[in-house]
Amino acid sequence: MTVIQGENLTKSYGKTLALDNLTFQIEENKLTGLIGRNGAGKTTLLKLIAGYLKPSRGEINVFSHNPFDSLQVSANIIFIDNHMAFPTAFSLDDILTEVAHYYQNWNAKLAHGLFDYFSFNPKQRHGSLSKGNQSTFNMIIGLAARCPLTIFDEPTSGMDSAVRKDFYRALLKDYLEYPRTIILSSHLLSEVEDILEDILLLRDGTKCLHQSVLELKEYALGLKGPKQTVLERLKGQEILHTEEFAQGSLYAVIKNQGLTSQQFLKHEDLELLPVSLEDLCIYLTGNAKGGIDHVFKQ
Amino acid sequence: MILNSDSMKPIYIQISEWLETEILRANLKEGERIYSQYQLAEMFNINPATAAKGLNILVDETIAYKKRGLGLFVAPNAKQFILHKRRSQVLKQLINEIVLEAKHLDVKETELMDLIHQVFNEIEEDKE
Repeated sequence: MTVIQGENLTKSYGKTLALDNLTFQIEENKLTGLIGRNGAGKTTLLKLIAGYLKPSRGEINVFSHNPFDSLQVSANIIFIDNHMAFPTAFSLDDILTEVAHYYQNWNAKLAHGLFDYFSFNPKQRHGSLSKGNQSTFNMIIGLAARCPLTIFDEPTSGMDSAVRKDFYRALLKDYLEYPRTIILSSHLLSEVEDILEDILLLRDGTKCLHQSVLELKEYALGLKGPKQTVLERLKGQEILHTEEFAQGSLYAVIKNQGLTSQQFLKHEDLELLPVSLEDLCIYLTGNAKGGIDHVFKQ
Repeated sequence: MILNSDSMKPIYIQISEWLETEILRANLKEGERIYSQYQLAEMFNINPATAAKGLNILVDETIAYKKRGLGLFVAPNAKQFILHKRRSQVLKQLINEIVLEAKHLDVKETELMDLIHQVFNEIEEDKE
């Protein structure tokens, strides 16, 4: 079943085009990573899905409804980001008690288990928490709500690396126990790639690619060696990135067209390297200005 | 359980190799049920789709077979099959890499053979 369907989705803020003719769909119970550079349109897309914003053009359907002003959709969605506002008179304990009434699948046991594990003080106010602890608290609500569509927009901002690891594991475990559609936007792709099934990569408000992590891991190959030898091998290949890293040496990233590593490795001077998803996404969404080194050469 | 995320080997292959090793070590015996994709996902902290791909390799290679509604089971002769496969493929590949590296370092064939003998003896001695 398709949970989210976007057709020619466009959103502009005045003259700024945040999303440009985006068509995509997300299937039920997939754990999808929404990836893109700063300003690529990730948050705008998530807010359109959640019904917080109206598209300028095009159509968005969530559970076959237009999410804007839809009770049906909002009852089935939770949107977690670091701008969540709670009543200032409420203690953390009050928030956990009250929020339970809004979500049909609320798992109080999980909420309190995580609350104790992360050593929150029940009497504290949300506003007085540190940035990282606010994110952690919001994450607890996002997981415990067990909404059929759960959206996390940069959920780990401010969290230290130990908490981030715990969060990813908690997310995966609860997803395995209670499968649901989850979208996670993140800048830390290397940390989340193993738990994701699909990646939707945005570039300048358009879809750069939408594929399974398993496919993307084999999307590209890195080739390292003496410049001439590498250049010979690049003929007929789709080149995604090249970089001279030492005198006469070249590192090139090419699209993997089913060549086996043995075919390449037969040549003694060549080294074949895996291309991390994080690097691949940088190469695919990179600007044409020759990289940061170029700035320093001028 | 820790996976090597820097390895050239995709995670799903690391999963299938880990399962093979479990069979070789007789931690998983022939005819026994193999972990489900969800159990593996939980154990290795990976998406269940990745775990499923690792399991499918075992089915494709007839190391495991499906029982409808019950899951995957270790096939009879799986251990023998894995041993044979590792000798003919994995060992060959490793030797390939050793020979290439030896050539890089200007190590002659006889020198390399001597070195292998030496390591063999060292390991035998350690056992005793």
